[in-house]
Amino acid sequence: MQEAELHDLSDDADYAASQQQGSASMIRCDSGKRSSSSEPEGAEIVFLKDNVTIHPTQFASERISGRLKLIKQGSSLFLTWIPYKGQTANARLSEKDKNLYTIRAVPFADVRSIRRHTPAIGWQYIIVLMSSGIASPPLYFYNGGVREFLATVKQHVFLVRSGEDSNVFLVNDFQNPLQRTLSSLELPRAVPAASVPSSPVSVRDSTSHENEDRTDMGVSDKSASSQYHGRQRQKVNDPARDLSIQVLEKFSLVTKFARETTSQLFREAHSHSNGFGAFERRNSNQSSLDYSHKASDDEEEVPNRSPVAPDPLEKVPYRKQNHDDEAATNVGTFELIDLKEFDKLSLVWGKPRQPPLGLEEWATFLDSEGRVVDPKALRKRIFYGGVEHKLRREVWAILLGYHAYESTYAEREYLRSIKKAEYETIKNQWQSISPEQAKRFTKFRERKGLIEKDVVRTDRSLPFYDGDDNPNVNLLRDILLTYSFYNFDLGYCQGMSDLLSPIVFVMEDDESESFWCFVALMERLGPNFNRDQNGMHTQLFALSKLVELLDTPLHKYFSQNDCLNYFFCFRWILIQFKREFEYEKTMRLWEVLWTHYLSEHLHLYVCVAILKRYRSKIMGEQMDFDTLLKFINELSGQIDLDAVLRDAEALCICAGENGAACIPPGTPPSLPVDNGLFYSQQDDEVL
Amino acid sequence: MASRRRMLLKVIILGDSGVGKTSLMNQYVNRKFSNQYKATIGADFLTKEVQFEDRLFTLQIWDTAGQERFQSLGVAFYRGADCCVLVYDVNVMKSFDNLNNWREEFLIQAAPSDPENFPFVVLGNKVDVDGGNSRVVSEKKAKAWCASKGNIPYFETSAKEGFNVDAAFECIAKNALKNEPEEEMGAKPAAMDFPYLSS
Ligand SMILES: Nc1nc2c(ncn2[C@@H]2O[C@H](COP(=O)(O)OP(=O)(O)OP(=O)(O)O)[C@@H](O)[C@H]2O)c(=O)[nH]1
Ligand SMILES: [Mg+2]
Repeated sequence: MQEAELHDLSDDADYAASQQQGSASMIRCDSGKRSSSSEPEGAEIVFLKDNVTIHPTQFASERISGRLKLIKQGSSLFLTWIPYKGQTANARLSEKDKNLYTIRAVPFADVRSIRRHTPAIGWQYIIVLMSSGIASPPLYFYNGGVREFLATVKQHVFLVRSGEDSNVFLVNDFQNPLQRTLSSLELPRAVPAASVPSSPVSVRDSTSHENEDRTDMGVSDKSASSQYHGRQRQKVNDPARDLSIQVLEKFSLVTKFARETTSQLFREAHSHSNGFGAFERRNSNQSSLDYSHKASDDEEEVPNRSPVAPDPLEKVPYRKQNHDDEAATNVGTFELIDLKEFDKLSLVWGKPRQPPLGLEEWATFLDSEGRVVDPKALRKRIFYGGVEHKLRREVWAILLGYHAYESTYAEREYLRSIKKAEYETIKNQWQSISPEQAKRFTKFRERKGLIEKDVVRTDRSLPFYDGDDNPNVNLLRDILLTYSFYNFDLGYCQGMSDLLSPIVFVMEDDESESFWCFVALMERLGPNFNRDQNGMHTQLFALSKLVELLDTPLHKYFSQNDCLNYFFCFRWILIQFKREFEYEKTMRLWEVLWTHYLSEHLHLYVCVAILKRYRSKIMGEQMDFDTLLKFINELSGQIDLDAVLRDAEALCICAGENGAACIPPGTPPSLPVDNGLFYSQQDDEVL
Repeated sequence: MASRRRMLLKVIILGDSGVGKTSLMNQYVNRKFSNQYKATIGADFLTKEVQFEDRLFTLQIWDTAGQERFQSLGVAFYRGADCCVLVYDVNVMKSFDNLNNWREEFLIQAAPSDPENFPFVVLGNKVDVDGGNSRVVSEKKAKAWCASKGNIPYFETSAKEGFNVDAAFECIAKNALKNEPEEEMGAKPAAMDFPYLSS
């Protein structure tokens, strides 16, 4: 142990020295060769390190080595890590797997911090944490060189060592007032570690770190962390505390996510046919931290029960068992990530999106009579890639719950014919209203008028709905009017035409099928349109809680700027992002959401993911409520769906149980808890 | 003068769904009319610079959804308004009948300090339709209602043809300005109500 600390110390001393020398000699010290192949024009490689390796699983044979580079282009610095071609020991690691881990030109503008680990035994590694809260897998430097790496980074971007944890280096965090303070403070040298309440120390006066770190490192790992805690207790009001909490929080998410993903990959490797059970059974020796784990057969629910500390700052029993009381402290959580633990950690980016499900593959999900053999596998497949357009007609009806997964071709055909007759009956109810009767049926006239005004304002720029007297527009009208009779209490509300339009488009103008698919969708989204707007308020509330959990600074910003009502996300939620993406992308997003894979409320994580993408702009420009609303409205058409879905997936897994706890039971699109009562208070306004 | 902060005048447009609020706002700010506007979900605003007597103002025009069900959102958008525009469709009686509801709802939610004298402007839109033959609300009737509510200025407009839109908004801006205290921007309420977060 002691040696290890000394090792760490020497690393720091060198680090400090490198700062003084301006690091010129450090750059490219590992390999002078410049690769010219993959770099864009005008880019310069400022750092290159071979044999940087990730450990996707605990098996040595499955490690992937590659080359890490820092590339400077203009004023931007990028990080890349590209696995070597065809040198993997293990045949199971396909090129696809490697692609999964490849880091292609991550700009440092998106990096929040770099965590350095210099463990007692084994290799040094770093974890890169993105502003979005997503982190890289641990990158092991088999040939050493972490300090040169950091020194080089520091030459090109604003890098400051966290005052709380000398192994965390914060990147470009100008938004945070604390960071501004940190960078301007240039604190005096030699801060005696034990006695002074941890003053934030800038990396710039790195010479002072020698003293400080020596003090820290002279003790064992455990007491070093307990010492952090000792300081922590003395300075409740120190703004640095929030930062540390934030970092801790993020990293506890990272490790948790990594653990999930590892177990997922692990299991996928062992059950090729059906990777869906990813969260099914956790590897029992996976981690001593799995203390909240409950075995469960209910796969769908498992993400909600995944092992995550209820509060990253809470006391951790594991710690208590193994260390003295002092060490069993809140802040110590971070230190729980020990070597053994990390050996199993791996991928923490959201998975790359897959191509949409095609006809041939679809057939493999069905038995000879047309039943979906493994609904969960299907849902997972669609979650990661969506569905090819020509398949949507068939698949949407099942995803939406109109047809059952276990139904046969024949049963579906039969249901279609029954439902067609039923549809005609309901439609007849309003079609048979004569003009004379309509004169004395104000509610009907008004409802019809409202629908007619809206259908001519729905997706008219699409060829499918454009032009005068377009029959598809009439179809929208008829279906909405029929629905307002089918569910007279809910009636018609603006936004419904937006939800119906893609369904009619996909169902190739089959009126009855469109109607019943819409009915199935409204089973879940109906509460969005309730008169008391409770469905919307519950979702906006859950969203605010999720942001608080997943991006505390952004939450604080919103709360300080009167933005906590989240009304700027109203449109996103009311019509499931229908106005935010182009038509095809909306359909892709919807089918992904409808899988309810990972969560019924993925749409809320999509909201968080989008907000996180623009967080630095929002906070940097000090947007007030009005400006923010305008900004969000104008994001329409600008959002990268695949990237946002990956982030949302990662955030959802990160948040785990804590995330699920932010979302009250019955929050749409969960099915209503009590069916009978839902639309009962609406009699006063029937439109 | 130059150093003085440019004044923001906040205007809210209210009225039943489909009466032409979005169309009117776009006609005034962008000078165009499109058949492809979508029904408004939530709220949005456009801004326009206006000048009175050598002073420049920013007119911030808020367009909200017309369906009654969304009215509870109003509280977030109405606050700090300097003038409220009530729009109806001269061809739809119900939209005229509802003006009173909109006015009262606004006064409740925006809670202006002097509700009696808060400036409203009423617009009767779509006068172009069918050459005026499908009209169901007469100018006389509309003006009578406006008079009964404290002489609200009244304009007949067509967002489609741009008829009377500029004149109407000039009046709207002037009324908004009248509502602003001379020196500073009106103090906006600090906190918004959000029942779930108040505890
Ligand atoms: N002929 C005619 N049509 C108009 C006029 N103004 C609006 N319209 C049409 O009326 C319909 C509704 O117009 P919008 O401006 O979208 O109405 P809105 O009041 O914003 O409606 P919501 O957003 O639903 O509250 C659209 O089809 C417009 O093209 C007008 O002055 N004349
Ligand atoms: Mg509108």
